[in-house]
This record gives sequence, structure tokens and C-alpha cells, in this order.
Amino acid sequence: MTLTIALSKGRIFEETLPLLAAAGIEPAEAPESSRKLIIGTNRPDVQLVIVRASDVPTYVQYGAADLGIAGRDVLIEHGGAGLYQPLDLNIAKCKMMVAVENGFDYDAAVKHGARLKIATKYPQIAREHFAAKGVHVDIIKLYGSMELAPLVGLADAIVDLVSTGSTLKANNLLAVEHIIDISSRLVVNQAALKLKYDTIQPVLDAFAGAVSQ
Amino acid sequence: MRNWLLPEYVADILPATARQVESAKASMLELFRTSGYELVLPPLIEYYDALVTPEDGALAIKTFKLDDHFSGRQLGLRADITPQVARIDAHLLSQRTGVTRLCYAGSVVHSRPDGLMSSREPLQVGAELYGYAGIEADLEIIRLMLTSLRQIGVEGLRLDVGHMGLFRGLVQAAGLGHELSAEVFSVLQAKDLSTLRELLVDVAEPYRSAFLALPELYGSRAVLDKARTRLPSLPEVELGLMQLAAVANSLEGEVELNFDLTELRGTHYHNGLMFAAYAPGWAEELARGGRYDNVGRRFGRARPATGFSLDLRDLIRILPQNESAKGIKLAANLLPQATIKVAELRARGEKVIVDYLGESAAALNCDRELVKAGENWQLVPFK
Repeated sequence: MTLTIALSKGRIFEETLPLLAAAGIEPAEAPESSRKLIIGTNRPDVQLVIVRASDVPTYVQYGAADLGIAGRDVLIEHGGAGLYQPLDLNIAKCKMMVAVENGFDYDAAVKHGARLKIATKYPQIAREHFAAKGVHVDIIKLYGSMELAPLVGLADAIVDLVSTGSTLKANNLLAVEHIIDISSRLVVNQAALKLKYDTIQPVLDAFAGAVSQ
Repeated sequence: MRNWLLPEYVADILPATARQVESAKASMLELFRTSGYELVLPPLIEYYDALVTPEDGALAIKTFKLDDHFSGRQLGLRADITPQVARIDAHLLSQRTGVTRLCYAGSVVHSRPDGLMSSREPLQVGAELYGYAGIEADLEIIRLMLTSLRQIGVEGLRLDVGHMGLFRGLVQAAGLGHELSAEVFSVLQAKDLSTLRELLVDVAEPYRSAFLALPELYGSRAVLDKARTRLPSLPEVELGLMQLAAVANSLEGEVELNFDLTELRGTHYHNGLMFAAYAPGWAEELARGGRYDNVGRRFGRARPATGFSLDLRDLIRILPQNESAKGIKLAANLLPQATIKVAELRARGEKVIVDYLGESAAALNCDRELVKAGENWQLVPFK
């Protein structure tokens, strides 16, 4: 039975290569140089499909791919229905943070119980975080350049991924609150794990063995 | 105005498929009948409180609500037929003290689809067995589920078996609160070990290790032996593992079996053995069921109960279409003389189509024509 693995280009792909190698899987081409969306491997029964990071859970949920690698941020936004998430791969690590413009008194704004405006690409995570804090928020969904929102008065704060913090710094923003640690997870289609157990389980075991804990 | 537009996740079923749906439904209901299951047709609308228990949040979201202009009470459009059938067993048929077997086939309506591939109007077909708590009842239902899928052409079936009792037993022994147990439950469904570890920091041993073992306890029968060494010896755990072993003993050789101790994605009301059928081509389970003892209590009678159900619309989506049988063409001008002959052919199950426009055999999907040769009627095949 063929095994299809959904991956996104860039950092996740690069950091997944050693894990794939541990499972005896080597891509036939590099997705950065190839325009192909379906990439073969050295194993005739394994293929890779290259999709946007935020689409990985959807492909796996509906069985278009059996396995996938997706960030925890993407999985929380997706909701995780129909997926198993058996393995934290400890790759593509970063933090989900709340950030504000330098000089903005975040603690005071939270304490006053006013309604905050939050710009983010991650409405689910933002909503959940502020609900747990007991703060009312209006979420402004943006698709990129989040850092701009507080500077131009579109939002009081942003919720975004932070890895080195250099983009925040360059835009005069300050991370004020840590929400969760993000890393990439291996996701598995639920029916595939039942139907292709003999093919999938060795891959899971190889990944688990290769993950740096 | 685009008045032809249907609401999202709502679809017509067109000719060939509609026939296939009806014949699959008929074949399942016939199997249920010969297995001793009586057919019931519960209503589409009921008082909301009867359809949905306050604890069942997922079903509450899926149920459309309406106002009853007679009583002023809230009505619901049924999103699941099983609670209706449990109500019938608990109340209307309460004079029966023995085993009651009931089956049904009807549309349910979901305010939100279960997934991108699901319809908001599934065609739910199922069977329920009340009044017997023994494992034999669960096995009867499992076999009924497998046979109903096989006889409509599903191949390569795999049965996945789990047990809600194990989880419930562990939750109780570990003293998990309502909120935490709900979170642990949903994280277990995802086999999400790392989040599970975060959730369980304050849970005492041996229960912490037991919960952490659950996501890895899936696969072949060997899982049951592994479970014995990794789970504490609680009465609920012992009973659950014993029942799972009984399923393995009874069904081995009949169907490919998987065991999965976190596979509990039933509805809120399940409390014992749970099972689901998978097959190549479907990205989700085709049918599922399990034990849900005592659901009837709120209708006046607590009874042991087990059953299964499936969405026939979803099933038919993937099944290969069977070709519809060819018919017999009859030129319209011959109809007045042919009425007796046509009635006779139709009584034999033949499809006779009257041709008004002189259409081709292919357009009418006919392979023969009814013609008169002297005094006799003849069926002449098309070349």
C-alpha cells in the first residue's frame, strides 16, 4: 500500500529530512528547486506531497495524505478533528507570544478589563488564551505583517510566533506574554493508521527513535 | 436570484445513486428483519429536551432548534436517531421485559456537517438491542454491522474495538475532575502524548502512567497483553480487557481486527465495548457503535443497550455504482393494445418505457423492444 506524507517547504522540510532518513526514506528531488507538488522517494511505496503548512492537517484529515508534519499552532487552529498526533518531533521550535508596542502598558490594559483589539493569524489560540485570562478581546484576523498592526493603531496587541525576536525588535515591539511553546508534530489520518498499520507503524517507530528529546 | 442554489453541505441524490441508496437501505432492513429486529419510524421533530441531554454538548450544537407553536416549548430536528429509539424502548415498549431489538432508517439533520466530506442531512441506518448486558449482545450487533456493510459491496473491512469502561474506571480511581477528564478524553482521541503529559502533571501514580500508556495501546491482539502489564488492576479495567479478549476469541478469522484502547469517539452516552468499521477508500469509519446502558433512565426505564449506526449517504459516495438494469422500449402508438402485456411484464419486474418522441435505445437505456408480430407480442433485442 502506498504511503503519502504531506510536508511544507522550508524549515519544516529541512528539519524533517533526518527523520525521513531514519525511516529509510530519501526524497528524489528537493522541493525548493522542483516545481513538482508530488515528489517520489527512494521507496516506491512512499511519496511526498508538498502543501502549505496550514493545509497539512486538512490533507491528512481527509485521507489525501496518510501522514503529515504540522506545527502545533496550525493544529490548534485546525482543531485536530480526524487526526492522531502521536509524536512531538521537537523541530521548527518557537514560541507563541503576545507582543505590544514599546511603551504600551499591557498589564494596565488587561487590568482595566477593557476590550482589547488583538491582531493575529491565529484566532483560535488568541481567543482561548484571553478567555482563560478573563479578558474580552476582539480578534482581527490578518494573514501577514502582524507587527504593523499596533504601530498603525489597528490593534492594541498581536499574537504571533516568535523565534529570535528580531522582527519584533526591528519594529519597536516587545513580547509581553508567553502563550505556548510551538514545535512540529507528526499527524496521522485515523483510518490510515487502522488500515495501513503495518506500513505506518515502522515509520512512527523510526521517527520516535530519531527525535531528539 | 439564484433560486436553484442549495444550502451548504446539502445535496440532491440523483437518479442512479438514489436507486442505489434505496436498494442498499432495503437490503439492510431486510437483514435486520430476518435477524429479528423490528422496524420503528420515530418522528423528525421532538421536544428538544428529549433529543439532547444537557451533558451532550456536541449533539446540542448539531441539533437545529425550532419553536413549537402548540406548546411554546422548544423543538429539535433530530440529529441522531439512537436516543429516539432508546426512548421508545424505555417508555412505549416498557411492558416488554425481555430483549427488544429495534432498527430504523431515516434522515437526520445536522446544523454543522461532521466534516468537509459529510452531508448535513445524513441518512442514518442502525439497529439497537435492549435488555441484555452480556457480551453476546455486542457480538450480535458487531456481526450485524459487518454483514450489512459486506452485503452492499464493501470490501476489505477492518473492525476496530475499544472499551469505554477502561477510561471511565481510570478516571474514577484517579479522581479526575469533570473538566480535566474531558480534556484528557479529547487529547486521548488524538493520541497526543505530549499534551497528555502536560495535562497529567498533578495526577498520582499509578494512574498517570496508566493514562500515558493508553495512546500507545493500539494494534493487534498483543495490545491486550501489554495492557495487562501497563494498567492498574481495577475491576473496570479487568472487565474491559476480558470483554475485549472475548471479542478477539469470537471474531478472529471472521474479520481483520484492531484493538485501540483510546478509540472512544462515540457519543457522550457510551459506556462499554465500542467498535467501528473501516475499509480502504474511506478516510473515516463507515459505521460505528457500542454499548450505552441506562440511557433510557431519563425516559423511565434504565436498560442494558448496545447498537450501531451508519450514514448511508456517505457509504454510497464511495461504493462503485452498479449499472441500472436495461429496459424494454414500447412505441407509444402500440400502448392501447399492449396494456395487458405491459402490466404482465412490469409485474415480473421488467422496466417498460413508453417512447413518445422516437428516442434511441441508448437514450431510453433499453436493450429490447416490445413489438407485435401478427397476434403475438415479441421482445426483440436491439442490435
